[in-house]
Amino acid sequence: MSSLKLDHLSKHYGEAVIVRDLSLEIANGEFVSLLGPSGCGKTTVLRMVAGLIAPTGGKITIGEREITVLPPNKRRIGLVFQSYALFPHLTVFENVAFGLRRQGVKGSELEKRVKDALALVRLDAFGDRYPRQMSGGQQQRVAMARAIAPRPDVLLFDEPLSNLDAKLRDEMQIELKRLQRELGITTLFVTHDQAEALSLSDRVCVMAHGNIEQFAAPEDIYHRPATAFVASFIGKPNRLAGKVASRNGAGGTVEIGGGVTLNADRLDVATGGEVELFLRQEAIELRTTPTEGPVNSIPGTVQLRSFSGAHVQYVVRIGANTEIVVEAPSSGAASNLEKDASVYLAVAPANVFALAAAEGARS
Amino acid sequence: MNESKPGLTITSIALLVILFLQLPVIVVVLAAFSSTSYLTIPPQGLTLKWFAKVLSDPVYLDAIRISLTLAVGSTVVSLVLGVAAAYALFKRMLPGTEALTSFLMAPLILPSVVIGVALLQYYSLIGWRGSFAALLLAHVIITVPYIVRSALASLAGVDMSVEEAARVLGANGFTAFRLVTLPLIKPGLVAGALFAFVTSMENVPVTIFVASAKQTTLPILIFSSVEMGVDPSIAAVSTLLIVATVFVLWLAERWTGFHRFI
Repeated sequence: MSSLKLDHLSKHYGEAVIVRDLSLEIANGEFVSLLGPSGCGKTTVLRMVAGLIAPTGGKITIGEREITVLPPNKRRIGLVFQSYALFPHLTVFENVAFGLRRQGVKGSELEKRVKDALALVRLDAFGDRYPRQMSGGQQQRVAMARAIAPRPDVLLFDEPLSNLDAKLRDEMQIELKRLQRELGITTLFVTHDQAEALSLSDRVCVMAHGNIEQFAAPEDIYHRPATAFVASFIGKPNRLAGKVASRNGAGGTVEIGGGVTLNADRLDVATGGEVELFLRQEAIELRTTPTEGPVNSIPGTVQLRSFSGAHVQYVVRIGANTEIVVEAPSSGAASNLEKDASVYLAVAPANVFALAAAEGARS
Repeated sequence: MNESKPGLTITSIALLVILFLQLPVIVVVLAAFSSTSYLTIPPQGLTLKWFAKVLSDPVYLDAIRISLTLAVGSTVVSLVLGVAAAYALFKRMLPGTEALTSFLMAPLILPSVVIGVALLQYYSLIGWRGSFAALLLAHVIITVPYIVRSALASLAGVDMSVEEAARVLGANGFTAFRLVTLPLIKPGLVAGALFAFVTSMENVPVTIFVASAKQTTLPILIFSSVEMGVDPSIAAVSTLLIVATVFVLWLAERWTGFHRFI
C-alpha cells in the first residue's frame, strides 16, 4: 500500500502533446478518477503509470520507489483493462493465479490466495471455467480478482465498466467501490463517465487536452467548477455568453442580452469582461410566479415539453430569443406545463457559473 | 431457397475441374498396384511388390530419411526465426516494416530456379557447397515465408492487451510471449509449419542446385528415376508420399481445426 505521485509528467509524439507537464498526488488508499473526454490524455497517463508507455519527461513514484523507467513487471501494479484482457486459453483459476505464479507463490498458498481473490468477487465456484463461458459482468470480476490477487501497491482501472450494459454497470460500480474500500488499495480510475467518477472517487481529476482542469472532491467538482471546461463537462449545462455588468464582493451581476441579468456568487472577471455562463438543467426551478429575494428570477415561455420518466425536460425561451433547457422532476409541481405557458426560471446565485471564456471547452 | 444453390451447369463444371485436377493423382495411385514392370493405365493385375521394393531399397530409404530430416529441421528453424521475425514486424520494432516483410516473403514470388542458381553461386564462393547446413539453410529460406505469413495473420487476431496484462502481472517480455501470445497463435503456427514441412518435403528446383550427390532427397530421386526410365516403384513411392501428406493434414485438422488458417 502506497501513495502514487506523478511529477511533471509529459508525453509527446513528435509535435503532438498528449500529456502536458502533469503533476498529481494520490494518497495511500485513496480512490482518484481521471475524468475527461476521449483524447484528453487520461488513458496515456494510466499507461505511463503501468509502464506500457514511456513518458517523454517527468517522474512517477509509488511510495518511496521511483518507477519511471521500470518495466511493467517490476512495478507491483494491478491493471484492469477496458477489454478485460483475460487469458482466453487459461481457466479462471489460472488467470487469477498468473500474477501469483510470477511471484513464485506455489502449492497450497497459491490455491488459498486464488480462492480468496475469487471469493472477494463472489466467483468461488467458477475456477474451472474458461473466460468465454462467462458473462461480461463475470469476466469483469475475474479481471478484478486477477489484478488484486498479487496484492499490488496501486490499482489502475482503464474504463473497466464501459463495455457493460447500464444495469450491470450500476451493480459493478457498487461492487468496485466496496472492494476498494475493503482492500484500501491506492486506486487510479480512468473514465469518461462523470456519474461513475463522481460516485466512486474520493477525488476527481478532470482532464482536457493533456492538462488538469480541476483536481478536487466530487462535490467541489460539481458545485464549484474551477474552469469553463469543467462547468461545461460536468452535469447538463446550458451554455450562454455574457458580459460582467457589475461586481459585488466575490460575486457580481452578468448581463446575457435582452435586458436579462443574473447574479452569481462567484465571479473572477472584472466589470465589462466577457464570460461564459453555465446554468445546469437540473439546477433551474420552474415557477409560475416571480421569486423575491436573492434568487435569480427570469421570465420566459415554455416552447417544448418532453417526458422521460423520472424527469420532464422543458425548452424555455427567455430574453432576446435565448433557449434554455430545464430538467424538472416529473413528480414535482412543474411537471405538467403547457406550451406557451408563462414561467419564471429560479436559479440560486450559487448555481450560476460565470467563468472566463476558455477555448476548446465543450458541453 | 433454390436461388442460393449453384445451378446444374456450374456444379458439373466444378466437378469436371476437380476430376481434371485429381486425375494424375488417381493415375499414379492406380499405377502403383500394377503387376507389369512399366507404368500402364489401366493397371494390369494387382500387386504390392512395388511397395515392398521401395521399402527395402536402401537408395529410397536413404532419400526418405534425408528428406524427413531436412523437412523437420528446416521447419523447426523456420518456426523459431519466422515467429521471432513476425513478432518484431507486427510490433513494428524496426523501421521499414513493410520493406522487411516483402523481403521475407520474396521467396514465395521469386522463381525457385533463380533462388537455386543464386544459392549455388553463393555457396561455391564461400565454400559451403555440399554441406548439410547449406542445404538446410536453403530450405529455411523457402519455408520461412509460410511461417511469417501465418504468424502475422495469427498475431493480427490476438488482442495485444492480453500480453500487456501478462506484463503488468509480473511476466517479463519473453515469459509473457511464451505463456500468453504463443499459445494463442499456436493453431496458425501449426498450419504454417505444415505448409513449410510440405514445401521442404517436395522441393526440387532449389534442392537440385544446392544438394550434393550424397544428399539425394526423395523428390530429387523420383525426378532422376523418371529420367532413367519409369517403373511402378516410382508410382508406389509417390503413393506413399500422398498417403503421408493426407495423414499429416488430417492429424493437424483434428488437433487444431487449422482449416480456418488457410
